[in-house]
Amino acid sequence: METFEYIKPKSMDDAMNALNTYENAFLLAGGTDLLVGMKYNSIKPECIVDIKEIPRMNTFEFNDGWRFGALVTVRDIEVSDRLKQTMPFLNQTAKALGSIQIRNRATIGGNLSNASPCSNFGAMFLAMDAMLKIISKDGERQIALQDFFCGPNQTVLKKGEILTEIRVPEDAGKAEGIFLKHSAGKSNDLGLVNIAITLHREPGTNLCKKITIAMGAVAPTPIRAKKAEAVLNNNILTPDLIIRAAKKASNEATPISDFRASADYRRSLVATMVAKGINTLIKAS
Amino acid sequence: MVKKYPVRVNVNGDDYEALVDPRKTLLQFLREDLDLTGTKEGCDEGDCGACSVILNNRVVSSCLVLAVEVDNAVIETIEGVKTGEELHPVQQAFVDSGAIQCGFCTPGMVITTKAMLQEMPNPSTKEVKEYLAGNLCRCTGYVKILDAVENAKEKLKNG
Repeated sequence: METFEYIKPKSMDDAMNALNTYENAFLLAGGTDLLVGMKYNSIKPECIVDIKEIPRMNTFEFNDGWRFGALVTVRDIEVSDRLKQTMPFLNQTAKALGSIQIRNRATIGGNLSNASPCSNFGAMFLAMDAMLKIISKDGERQIALQDFFCGPNQTVLKKGEILTEIRVPEDAGKAEGIFLKHSAGKSNDLGLVNIAITLHREPGTNLCKKITIAMGAVAPTPIRAKKAEAVLNNNILTPDLIIRAAKKASNEATPISDFRASADYRRSLVATMVAKGINTLIKAS
Repeated sequence: MVKKYPVRVNVNGDDYEALVDPRKTLLQFLREDLDLTGTKEGCDEGDCGACSVILNNRVVSSCLVLAVEVDNAVIETIEGVKTGEELHPVQQAFVDSGAIQCGFCTPGMVITTKAMLQEMPNPSTKEVKEYLAGNLCRCTGYVKILDAVENAKEKLKNG
């Protein structure tokens, strides 16, 4: 490994300066993806900008919708009682990510910025219609998570930009939701397929007012199963309709075959898991 | 000449000051600079748990932390677990239950078990399995390790 500069800014301005001073600077948060990349020499930083001491980035709160700092750790989400009461599917999403050693370090902003096709929070926040706040020296911009991912490990983030916040609209906190990960056995391995669903129902009925279904590890980026959603929106969630939607979702998936699973198996898993997810939500009430 | 960075860190109650190469992981720093070789290097990519240490009250893989990151941190390694010559109840439980085969995973298992029982004194078997899922034992002696955790729970409750 070539050596690099190490900078630990105490403010966003200092971080911006560092990012703009070096040609090939990388942000360090939890480091659970970055360090692995550096060890394999797939990432060769000229400078590491450790952003963990920038204030206000490791908290989350409700204030006209939810605001999550990008440096909130996966473990913080997993154990939050407040989230368990309002959005337990976020706790679920966190718990399904890696080992305790990883969850204690890994951050939600890092999980999104690393842009793995099987990113847990990529799928869940996509299902929640999350917005991202991105800061650069020229100011800030907001984009939908839907427009954030470009491909495996690729995002629209430009040189000198930092993802600082994930915002979730207020109504996502009023939805039912579920995160399902299927991996080999009970291991910590990456999901063969991840499914994240949020559901708004007419109270006391199975009438689906709005459903969102996001899928991970079945395309170059986490994606929404829009056609499956369209089948279900404004309809009664009958067993037949759920199966039809699950098949649609399966057709929307474009997975690859790799050593973990074949594309066919992943497509088949999508149908099973989408149906299972919706049925679990319906039966829970 | 590689630029080095000052790090002040408390490990097992002792304060250290050092100049470290930014490429050095916390694991390498502990083993090579501080001679604390109880923490083991297994996979060196965050998958096996052999290098587990407690960093600011959280168990982490020291192979995925840079030494420069731990400036001002408080760290506990396997060497800091016992009191004087007396083993910690978690260590004694591992001995009593015969939960050690080759011993390579043991420091990580003990550290992770200690962190777990600090957070939740009375975990269910399912919770124990989930918490220890990132600590691999290639001798596959998991049953006795789970026995040891049960045993440790009791020792700590009664102690």
